[in-house]
Amino acid sequence: MSQFTDEELMRKVQEGYMVEGPEDMTEGYRKALRVQLTVQADTELMSAPSYWMAARYAPSTNTQVSAHAIIQDELAHANIAYRLLEDIGESKEHLVYGRQPHEFKHPYGFDQPLDNWAELVVATGFFDRAGITLLTDVHENTSYAPLKRALVKIGMEETFHLRHGEVWMRRLSKAGGEARELVQRAVDWMFPMTIEWFGLPDAMKRHSGQLDFKLKGLTNDQLRQVWMASTVPLCEELGLNAPAHWDNVKGEYVLDYPFPCQYDAVDKHWAFDEGEISWDSVFERWKGRGPMNEIYVESVQRSRMDVERWLAA
Amino acid sequence: MNEFVYDVFTRKERGDRLQHVGYVDAFDDETAKIYAWTTYSEERWFEMCVVKRTNVLPVNRVDGLFVEAQKAAHV
Repeated sequence: MSQFTDEELMRKVQEGYMVEGPEDMTEGYRKALRVQLTVQADTELMSAPSYWMAARYAPSTNTQVSAHAIIQDELAHANIAYRLLEDIGESKEHLVYGRQPHEFKHPYGFDQPLDNWAELVVATGFFDRAGITLLTDVHENTSYAPLKRALVKIGMEETFHLRHGEVWMRRLSKAGGEARELVQRAVDWMFPMTIEWFGLPDAMKRHSGQLDFKLKGLTNDQLRQVWMASTVPLCEELGLNAPAHWDNVKGEYVLDYPFPCQYDAVDKHWAFDEGEISWDSVFERWKGRGPMNEIYVESVQRSRMDVERWLAA
Repeated sequence: MNEFVYDVFTRKERGDRLQHVGYVDAFDDETAKIYAWTTYSEERWFEMCVVKRTNVLPVNRVDGLFVEAQKAAHV
């Protein structure tokens, strides 16, 4: 364990000190890093079954290949993040195979079914953009050197996923008719889903160890703005309605709907007309997990025990 | 499953440094090569090697992951 106190380590990392391993960490640092890496690893892992089940809607062998290349990348990213967790004393075996579906820490968006090709491409356009937004900030600011190095690969590949999503959003939107309607419908539920992904507004956010220990650089609201600064102009360019606009007076993007609000996961519908709800009810919905949670986790864990038994025999 | 840590080293172009890019868990050398090749597929590497972590001998550090691996191997 570190020779520093939490306060000393916080000061040192703000001055540029890079942490290389558990021997440099305080318990507070390790815990904050564990939470961050668990969310990162679980998000990468659970994007895989979500995209994998949607890849069957790919319209050609080329698109099948690119969809599966994305899935391969996501699984590799998950594996890298779980390895980083092992280095700080966690068990990959337990994290991937020993937890119940509701114990995973990925965002609610990856508990939802993707029901057609338009939904898959908007998911890679929106959700992977959220991933890049979060991980670019971590890459630029993190004080944890092994994570900074690992994120070089992850950043390169996520950029390809995003490009794939955006190219296809453009293509389907330009086609008009049913294709365009399906993209708009996907935008309607995935835009607010991604906005919510960035978490509590700064005004309500409790003390953040991740910022103090320099495990990230931007706040939730700043990250939400970064995401909107790319996504809103993209939607405008494609003639898609996104429920947010640039506010000249405030000098930032503002949402055109009550935030947060209730979501009907069966109809994939946000109840804008029912007004703002409390963050406690959002946390309750997240905790209850979404409709595909058990199916996705089961698809990852399915054969592990069987094969272990065969190998042990 | 009884797996070992293998560190992964790559060289992007002829003339580049061989650099540490990450690691994989594998049962043996052959699976480590396959896992490394499919996991770190972000470049068309000129060269990729894997090294079982217990074969990395720390020279100057008295702590850190490689020292821990040595301790664990010699329990």
